Amino acid sequence: MNPLGTLVYLRRNASRTLPLMGVIVLAVLLICAIVSLINSIPLSVKTIYKYTSLMMGVSPRGDASRTPEIRKYIEENCPVPIGHIALCRASGTEVKSIVGRWEFVVIAFEPADLQVFLKRMAVTKIEGRVPEEGQPEAIISEPVSRNLQLKIGDDLLSPEKADAYSPKKVKVVGIAQTKNWFMFGDKAYYQANHFPPIDFIIVTAKNPADQPAMDRWTLHRFKGNRAQVISYLEIERQANEMFKTLYKILDVVIGILVIVITTMMGMLINIYLGQRTQEFALLQALGYSRRALMSRVIKETAWVVIGGWILGVLTSVGMLMLVDRLLMHPNAYALDLADKTALMYTIPVPIAIFTAAILTLWARFRKFDPVSVVERRLV
Amino acid sequence: MIRAQNASLVYRDHGRELFACREVNLEVREGEFLGILGPSGSGKSSLLYLMSGLKTPSSGVIDYAGQDLNALDDAQRAETRLKDFGFVFQYPYLLGYLSAFENVQIARPDQDLRTEAGELLSSLGLGEKKQRLPHELSGGERQRVCVARALLGKPKVIFADEPTANLDHTNGLQVVELLNRHRGGGALVMVTHDPSMLGEADRIVRLEDGELK
Repeated sequence: MNPLGTLVYLRRNASRTLPLMGVIVLAVLLICAIVSLINSIPLSVKTIYKYTSLMMGVSPRGDASRTPEIRKYIEENCPVPIGHIALCRASGTEVKSIVGRWEFVVIAFEPADLQVFLKRMAVTKIEGRVPEEGQPEAIISEPVSRNLQLKIGDDLLSPEKADAYSPKKVKVVGIAQTKNWFMFGDKAYYQANHFPPIDFIIVTAKNPADQPAMDRWTLHRFKGNRAQVISYLEIERQANEMFKTLYKILDVVIGILVIVITTMMGMLINIYLGQRTQEFALLQALGYSRRALMSRVIKETAWVVIGGWILGVLTSVGMLMLVDRLLMHPNAYALDLADKTALMYTIPVPIAIFTAAILTLWARFRKFDPVSVVERRLV
Repeated sequence: MIRAQNASLVYRDHGRELFACREVNLEVREGEFLGILGPSGSGKSSLLYLMSGLKTPSSGVIDYAGQDLNALDDAQRAETRLKDFGFVFQYPYLLGYLSAFENVQIARPDQDLRTEAGELLSSLGLGEKKQRLPHELSGGERQRVCVARALLGKPKVIFADEPTANLDHTNGLQVVELLNRHRGGGALVMVTHDPSMLGEADRIVRLEDGELK
């Protein structure tokens, strides 16, 4: 074994190297946690409304009588094959997210259409049953039931709930196993009890892969017309727009964080190298070249920095798993445990710290005189 | 073998020129034990560092094996020190995280001289303590480890800068005796202010105010 091997110093001086790694681990953990949790906001929005990527809604504006005309136009002109088209009613309610409550729609179908859309939502199993015709009943998906802590028999809508109103108590009669979020009710009940009396159109592309093309065409066709288009494409665009400023702020925060951490690490590395002055002087006096010494320290620094980063990433994943298990999953909040963006945000940390270390090292070795140390003039 | 020709080393202190060595002419011959004697501040350590290539003369030439050491770059001078020279300093500098045995090994990183390192430590009376860390050794033992390090690989010249200064007289004499006995065919250049340490020297030169007397 080479006594001056890269890992020998690190292993035998763990009390000095581990704190350095610890700072990197904490920095990576901090950045990863901030970015992952912030990313979970748009991810939540997209997850909650992901079901709209499987269908598209068009509602007439101001004139309820235009629905048949709109339906006819879509059926005749849509550039992609239509899978199913249905007339529905709807009412508003809310779901919870980590930044507050978000609007959600209870869509009321006729029984035959309901079966089609349950299939479209990739439902694998239903606990309970589907709503009966004309009854104040609803079927919700499993993530919705987790999010609102609803079980079969609970009220989804109620006359007492201002944000989830219905003239009668609408009971949950079924919970569907699927990743998609939805709340489906019965159209006959809505027609008899809900205002305004507007039928809106839900249409699916025959091939789900064509849904974005259908969305784009409909958005373009009905832009400025007396119809409102509800599509995932639009929701995604709005979400991205909404969080653009937030991400700019995040960039500034992470930038400041990297600068602070790098400066701190630069100072720590300077102290760390200062503690090794005697070692460098002795080795240089014995005949080790500056280049050889620098190369050795650079390799050690690379191990500390890369090791710290890897450990930081693993710690972050562990911490996020814990957060997911304790906080996010029980409420069906979305959190990406392997968020690539969060990882990308941490990459400047090891690079900046390594650069700071190299500069510190270079400054230290530039005018280093081993004689002044071995003669004890500088120790 | 090593020849200093009109070698001077000048320090500048607030615009004043201070001569650590002034136009020194001195030759170290192959295999000899050369003692450089002088009081504190006479420039003997500076002369040793000049001759070993650790310092560059302000003027003059340091010639080693027909090569001007000043003409070599930093890496070449370092390589010469590593391959041909051994060093014992006034303070027993050892790397605290390496055992006595490993501290000896670092003198020749490019060769596997583990057997020789073990034998050297044994012959210096440290065979039982070779796995100990420096802080587990006494001052005298640490200096003996430094001696073993300087002797490893049979260097052509061993430079010893006041190696006995921090030892009592008995330990000091022992260190000099060990250096002299185990240096093989290598030359030994030892700087000291204590004439009693140079009893075995082949030749002694005196330095005063940076000049050979």
